[in-house]
Amino acid sequence: MIARTPYAQMLGIQGMTAEPGTVELMMPATPQLEGRTGFLYGGVIASLLELACLEALALGPIETVRRPKPINMSFDFLRGGLMVDSYAQARLSRIGRRVVNADAICWQTDREKPIATGRMHLLLD
Amino acid sequence: MPDDEDPFERLKNLPPRGHHALLGIYSVDDGPDWVELACPFAPGFMMDPETELVSSGPVVSLVDAAAGAAIIARTRQWLPMATLDLHIDYLRPAKAGQTLHARATCYHVTRKVAFTRCDVHDGDAASPIAFATASFFFTDES
Repeated sequence: MIARTPYAQMLGIQGMTAEPGTVELMMPATPQLEGRTGFLYGGVIASLLELACLEALALGPIETVRRPKPINMSFDFLRGGLMVDSYAQARLSRIGRRVVNADAICWQTDREKPIATGRMHLLLD
Repeated sequence: MPDDEDPFERLKNLPPRGHHALLGIYSVDDGPDWVELACPFAPGFMMDPETELVSSGPVVSLVDAAAGAAIIARTRQWLPMATLDLHIDYLRPAKAGQTLHARATCYHVTRKVAFTRCDVHDGDAASPIAFATASFFFTDES
């Protein structure tokens, strides 16, 4: 679903079904996503994490009349992102009546060695 | 020192490449510890063209670029660095069609770490769309 949005398409992001009910986003490395030479741009990694949170919300159990609004998001960058395929997956850690907490990880060759993590608050209207 | 030897002037005169080039990021203004960058709207920024919802992804990328440039404006050194963390508050959604502006200030530097904050608007600085803080680590190999 998220992979069909114009922004995800601009980044070349694809959705992949991992287990039933979950989706991993995959982003192939292209020169357009490079920051300093040889490394993925940090803002792109952050965007992938953010889209993973929105995907988790879209797949989640919440029926909302209107679209959830991002309140804020925090990112930790753990390792430099290399110019290889990147993956991201998020889960909803808390679903409140008005606020949802989501957290996401991004990895490349080894899921046990994430290159970045993110936490997001969303407002349900 | 001639301008072309100053690392910050060298940064400003570099042709955009990589993700900066994809987003069309350009320099608007700068001071001794701050930089304002901008990024023209593109149809690829949309999350949902029907509701005119703009993705916050380009906002984060613009903040990252402005914060890094503000550090070079303050230190006047081009040291290799990595983003440690970034926090962004989304104050209101960006409007489709509007150019994004990010003004980042490097408000403190230590030997190994630089601290930045950044205001983002989409045409009216009095009505910001986001506020962010980010810290960076100088990755010299010593």
